[in-house]
Amino acid sequence: MFEEPYRWMEAVSTRHNYVQEKLKMGQPVMAVPYNEGLLIFGFAPQPGKIFEVYDRIALGGVGHPADVERLRMNLLDMAHLEGFNRSAQDVTSARLLQFGIAPALKQNFEEIQRAPYIIRMLLVELDNEGNPNFFRMNYDGHWGTFKNGTAIAGEEKVMDWLQKEIQKQPFATYSLDKALQQACKLWDESRKLDSDDEAKKDIPETLQEAFDQWYLEGAVLTEKSTRKAIYRPISKDEIERLKSSAV
Amino acid sequence: MKFQSEPNTSAGEFFELLENSGYRWPAKLEGTAKQHGFTVPQGTTVLAFHFKGGVLVAGDRRATAGNSIMYELCDKVIPIDDHTLMAIAGVPATAFEMARVLSHNFEYYRRSQLQSMSTEGKIRALSKLLKENVGMAVQGLGVVSPIFATYDPALKKARIHFYDMLGADFQIRTHTATGSGSQIIRGILEHEDLWGEKPLAERTREQAMTLAIRLLQTAALFDSATGQARPEDDIYPTLATLTEEGYRFSDEDETAEIFKTSTARG
Repeated sequence: MFEEPYRWMEAVSTRHNYVQEKLKMGQPVMAVPYNEGLLIFGFAPQPGKIFEVYDRIALGGVGHPADVERLRMNLLDMAHLEGFNRSAQDVTSARLLQFGIAPALKQNFEEIQRAPYIIRMLLVELDNEGNPNFFRMNYDGHWGTFKNGTAIAGEEKVMDWLQKEIQKQPFATYSLDKALQQACKLWDESRKLDSDDEAKKDIPETLQEAFDQWYLEGAVLTEKSTRKAIYRPISKDEIERLKSSAV
Repeated sequence: MKFQSEPNTSAGEFFELLENSGYRWPAKLEGTAKQHGFTVPQGTTVLAFHFKGGVLVAGDRRATAGNSIMYELCDKVIPIDDHTLMAIAGVPATAFEMARVLSHNFEYYRRSQLQSMSTEGKIRALSKLLKENVGMAVQGLGVVSPIFATYDPALKKARIHFYDMLGADFQIRTHTATGSGSQIIRGILEHEDLWGEKPLAERTREQAMTLAIRLLQTAALFDSATGQARPEDDIYPTLATLTEEGYRFSDEDETAEIFKTSTARG
């Protein structure tokens, strides 16, 4: 059936619809710069959205947990092999995406007998000069880079809105506490854009509920760290301070 | 990249990942006996002992090949992860490779399994590498005699382990030293611990660093393969401590200052 080009295009199009429908429930993950590095942050009913990939690289994922896990392991394998065979300085998000994950993901998506990955991914790094870099990758291998922060979400409408709002704020000048507060505020406002009523009923109605019922995950990559691996999960104290200022 | 249909079998084992990517630990050269007629660089004297706040690990900076001094800036105390240090005596090429494998192993495990490797697991990981290296060691090409110091979060205590060439590990409760100058300083360490001003485990960080500098200077007086400090060239021993907060290397200014006071004669 797939020897005819039209059938193949139709099948790919159907896959797009299928994956987008499956992704809809995915809660946003945001990544923004702040005055000592960068912050990656999100709420979710289950933990497992934000991970350390390598010394200066972190990952945020939206989608099926098994797919997030598989891509995470692929990134870890590639990053550690490259870091061992060459140097930690040769492990960059751009190389991991451009020469590693993205082509394979595209191939997987267009080989229509394979199950597609249900995932959107954020890859962030503080490069060797201390500049934050933000990358966003789609389930079909398409990826983009952003200068002042970015976001992923299940719904494209929410993702685009967050992207626009993040650009409006001078996050790079904020302290970590303020960056967290503002990111949290954006997350709160973005919930109201969710068009899927069925999905909406499972989302906490207030920020207080989100703090009480869901998991807040966040991490920073900061030059303030004296260690080689500069990833640090945000602390309980930082979450408490955020909660008391945001709720 | 693995596709979804391929099972994800990784249990955080970096060495296995390396081997699957085509890497092979240098094997014993088949059909040849112990190598003669050439010399490989060797690292020299390293030591570790418990002090009041944790463990001190120190080493001289010289690498030799036979009678030749090859290098005077060799770092023989190597950070493996935030809470682990390895001090090496023996062939630097093999020792550095072991340190790189271990470092990636511990970090890969922590990141992939979302938890740190247990202290026992870390200690065992170095044993496995030494076992892999037996062939090279018996041929005289890659003998490594490491000291492994790691902070055990379960026991809330830093630990020192010493290994033999075959990979057996021995936990050290007070002090240890390895390398060509070690015989000279082991006796002094024992003497200091038993009859010194106070036992090693009760000494402060500064007192521990003072002792380490004096020990390495003494070793260098009797062992030509151990490098003396050369303050005029800013060459000092490597000094590092390991505590609950992780490892901390003494920076050059601090080491220079301690060196000055610790080597002054009364």
